[in-house]
Amino acid sequence: MTEDALTFGQLLERHERELFAYALRLSGQRADAEDLYQDTFLAAFRAWPPPRRGNERAWLYKIATNRAIDRERRARRIVANVDDLALAAPDRDDVTLADLARAIGALPAGQRAAFVLRKVQGLGYGEIALALECSEEAARARVSDALKKVKAAVA
Amino acid sequence: MDVVIDDARARLLARAKKEGLATVGYDVLASPLGPLWVAIGPKGVTTIHYGDAPSERELRRLVRVYGPGVVPDHRRSSALARELDQYFSGKRKTFDVDVDLSGLTPFQSRVLAATARIPFGEVSTYGTIAKRAGNANASRAAGGALNSNPIPIVVPCHRVVGANGALVGYAGGLGTKERLLAIEGADVSRRH
Repeated sequence: MTEDALTFGQLLERHERELFAYALRLSGQRADAEDLYQDTFLAAFRAWPPPRRGNERAWLYKIATNRAIDRERRARRIVANVDDLALAAPDRDDVTLADLARAIGALPAGQRAAFVLRKVQGLGYGEIALALECSEEAARARVSDALKKVKAAVA
Repeated sequence: MDVVIDDARARLLARAKKEGLATVGYDVLASPLGPLWVAIGPKGVTTIHYGDAPSERELRRLVRVYGPGVVPDHRRSSALARELDQYFSGKRKTFDVDVDLSGLTPFQSRVLAATARIPFGEVSTYGTIAKRAGNANASRAAGGALNSNPIPIVVPCHRVVGANGALVGYAGGLGTKERLLAIEGADVSRRH
């Protein structure tokens, strides 16, 4: 496990690409993703230091996820970025990315975040649990429920 | 992606600066001596480090003095970059940028202040510097203080040599010390 970041610059250089990609996948639009990326890191700087040793990555995902959900509640939309969803697609040839994006877009925010963190960002359940402030079991359940709903929606 | 994230980062850092969250700006400059990691604080240049990343010790000093708001910032280092370029190409003999030696011990600050007064192209000895820093018997300690000089080149610790004219040591390597003295046309046999 890497040492905790000592400075904002270290935190940025280590995690900004990954967080920007996550923001893009959650919001689906570049301008929204940029706002989410900026808000996430500004919130991290204001709340410095990262709360638990070695968990700064999950901490950033948590901030980003909470902010995305807040924004969605306000704006009532999050569309997952269609290009990335091929990675998360169920094994079916006749499902279009647009179908999939619709199915993911229809998930409740918490399930959608869990789904994207697991299937697109590739986080482990331990990190997802930290990011979503829930137990590992709950994280598994959210991903599994999300997957069932997505499969049902595109069936 | 790179351009997009560069833009996003620039706007993020502008907001952080506006909120007073970004206190020190750093950059990696290319030089004939290889990459230099440089940092600029509110009072001037805080760090010039040989290599593309600072030592942990240096980073901890910056955090102790200025907090964790140490962020990448190309614009803040532009004056230093220009002066270093001029120095390396033989067009500059003294630096005009402000330097900030906060967070050092009083003895180290006095050693570096005495070192900063050695003129371009001349050399002095550890013993002389120790004496000018207020303790004639502390030439070994003066050597230690110079070895951990956070702002080499601008605070010219390369101009300090042994009593017998030997180069002795340099945090950037003896080859680097030799090159800096050669840029300045210094005659090591004539000590200031």
